[in-house]
Amino acid sequence: MATQVVDHSALKVNQTGIVATVLVAFVGSAFYRPALLLIPLLAIVLLVGTFAPQLALFKQFYFKFLKPRGIVKPRPVQDRPETHNFAQGLGGVFLAVASIFLLPLPVVGLALALLVAVLAFVNLAFGYCLGCQIYFQLGKRGLIKAS
Amino acid sequence: MNAQLWALAVVGIVVLAAACLEAFRSRRARKRALGAVAAPAADPYILYFTGDGCTVCRTHQEPALAKLGAVRIDRVDAIADRTLADRFHVYTLPTTVVMSPEGRALHVNYGYTTAPKLERQLAEARGSAMQAATA
Repeated sequence: MATQVVDHSALKVNQTGIVATVLVAFVGSAFYRPALLLIPLLAIVLLVGTFAPQLALFKQFYFKFLKPRGIVKPRPVQDRPETHNFAQGLGGVFLAVASIFLLPLPVVGLALALLVAVLAFVNLAFGYCLGCQIYFQLGKRGLIKAS
Repeated sequence: MNAQLWALAVVGIVVLAAACLEAFRSRRARKRALGAVAAPAADPYILYFTGDGCTVCRTHQEPALAKLGAVRIDRVDAIADRTLADRFHVYTLPTTVVMSPEGRALHVNYGYTTAPKLERQLAEARGSAMQAATA
């Protein structure tokens, strides 16, 4: 599968959005419980964005608002978007599972959501993408067509 | 507030456990891969395992390799050449292996490795190759 140009600034904005939303939900829920609703909403945003990139909220915010105004500069890199989409989808699935646990077992739900935020932060700050590594492992085992 | 604190503790433990597991896995893979053989060459060289989906390879590892200057770098697609990747226990991308001229793995680096570290490893490899030649 051939590589194409992927704007890494869009990915960074997406990761920032994930970290910020989970943190607001996490801290906010301590004072105002309905703030937890942000977690299922984020799960929907990520899952919808995985299957329909034109509906990826944070990426669209970058393409439609931040990039045209020069607030965030583009960073095009020859890359494969499927890897990042897979990682985003995985984050969405984890947040969906977290959402299920939020009411009966809030500790589990919050921990799962926080874990997604930690991994998004690690990717944002250090460039290490766990979802991409899982994609590589699945490709190596022939479970997905990764090359 | 209690749920938040417990969740924070759980995440802390999970992150710590994952870091320990990663350190253990990396150490074990390195131990197994050291001494593995590939093609011989005139000078020490680098086996560079990468893949189409490896972003860090493009954004970090390849610029670091470009800084090394005149060093032979054998680029290997870890998914297409699974036999070679398995021989060096490649479990993450990028992976760089500093090979001796005889084609033996001297240093195995899992994950992004900086240019100074690779230079140091190559200098060591050149040193041991010279020692072997003069002995």
